[in-house]
Amino acid sequence: MENITTMKDIINSPLLLTLVIIGLLYIVAFSLVYLKKAYTHCLELGITKEDIHKVIKSSIVFSIVPSLSIVVGLFVLIAVMGTVWSWWRLSVIGSLSYETMIASSVSSAIGFDSTAAMLDQATGRQFGVVMILMSIGMLSGFLILIPFGKKLSSSVSKSEHSSSWKYVLSGTFMLCLFSVYIPVLLFGDTIQAAVMLTGLVIALALGVLAKNPKLKWVGEFIMAFSMIGGMLSSLFWTKIF
Amino acid sequence: MKDKKNTPTFTDSFQIWCHKWGRIGTLIALIYMIALPFIVLTYFDSVPSLGEVINVGTISILMIYIPVGFSEALSYTPILGGSSYLTFITGNIMNLKLPCAVNAMKIAKKEQNTPEGEAIASVGVAVCSIMTVIILAIAALLSTWISPVFELPEVKTASEYLIPALFGSLTLGLFSSTNSGKKIVKNGIMGVVPVLVIVSVISIAIRILTGGSLFGMIGFLILAMLPIAIISSRIMWKKGIIKVVDKES
Repeated sequence: MENITTMKDIINSPLLLTLVIIGLLYIVAFSLVYLKKAYTHCLELGITKEDIHKVIKSSIVFSIVPSLSIVVGLFVLIAVMGTVWSWWRLSVIGSLSYETMIASSVSSAIGFDSTAAMLDQATGRQFGVVMILMSIGMLSGFLILIPFGKKLSSSVSKSEHSSSWKYVLSGTFMLCLFSVYIPVLLFGDTIQAAVMLTGLVIALALGVLAKNPKLKWVGEFIMAFSMIGGMLSSLFWTKIF
Repeated sequence: MKDKKNTPTFTDSFQIWCHKWGRIGTLIALIYMIALPFIVLTYFDSVPSLGEVINVGTISILMIYIPVGFSEALSYTPILGGSSYLTFITGNIMNLKLPCAVNAMKIAKKEQNTPEGEAIASVGVAVCSIMTVIILAIAALLSTWISPVFELPEVKTASEYLIPALFGSLTLGLFSSTNSGKKIVKNGIMGVVPVLVIVSVISIAIRILTGGSLFGMIGFLILAMLPIAIISSRIMWKKGIIKVVDKES
């Protein structure tokens, strides 16, 4: 009987593991180069070392909780497509929502009743479809970013001599993001609304606390703490609503 | 004061570096990411045919995500500036990198789309990217031991509400970051009032009619609302409703 490659052969292969590690090392190196360049430039622009270190400390704390949510997604994906491929997908380009969603929809698209059936019975070729779809799905953003990133950034980049319209346009993107998200969260789902308002109230309260000279350090962690508080409040709100 | 509309005019060395080397670094990463599955599949003699990859079943999945990618690039790049390249290559933008960049600018009291703002945002995004890679690596290596903790219902529930919690905490950052520069945009929010009204009405209508939420459609909504926000802001700026004034005054 012919020996057919299965999905399990691929997801457990040393080759995949090696390529994923090389890719991740590249991403870390790229981030370190960016960090060094940005750090040096901040100093050149007159931002104090103290302020940069505050930002680094706060960014570390701020990253932990969302990263742990990505870990929750990682374990959902591991059950569907093994550790190595899931680890890779959530460390690059992909977003938690995209990867977990595609994992469940792709198994039916290639003809399986469930993700468990796919893991059990899929051939290498069938898993190849999954790998390629996951790799090309989110590339559309790069079709804009790579050719037009400079133009998009310069269109709102402000300097002493910029026209006042640039100042308005620069803020419009962020305001638009909020104007879409906030009504959707507020009117679409009661628990989402309650969690968002809890996060806001905690942020406001911490802002007041940070005005106390003894608690000034709180100011660096307002966003991190209010986000954690908001997420924890969901456990309470899901019981009420 | 006229803008040179067709030529990007960066004079800041870090911004110039980002748009050259950041772009090249991103392109290399991108090629690697696309090549990776093909290398593995070729080794296992399992490369699927084009018809297997692109068909009615799979195209419907791609059609959901292609506009999301466009929407992310169009709406986040002008906010992130030079740090966009690193942000996009490491992904998880709305739930991690963008808030991290906003947090960094807020702490250093720097404004977005300025050389200072972009440099400090890049510090935040780079630290955040490294942290995520490390945390995910630890989680993947220790998956057998730690997975029970992350499969607890309470942890899963709290994780589902990351985005609403983030928006609660981000709202304060939004207002303070617009006030940290030499100039202040007055009544900037008026420009997005039409978006707020349209999205509110649609959200309420969908809730009443189906009991559901537009949360899964956010990518499409942003893509559709962005031109409305820009046009309406432009009209209000021309009519003098939105004003840019010096901070001192």
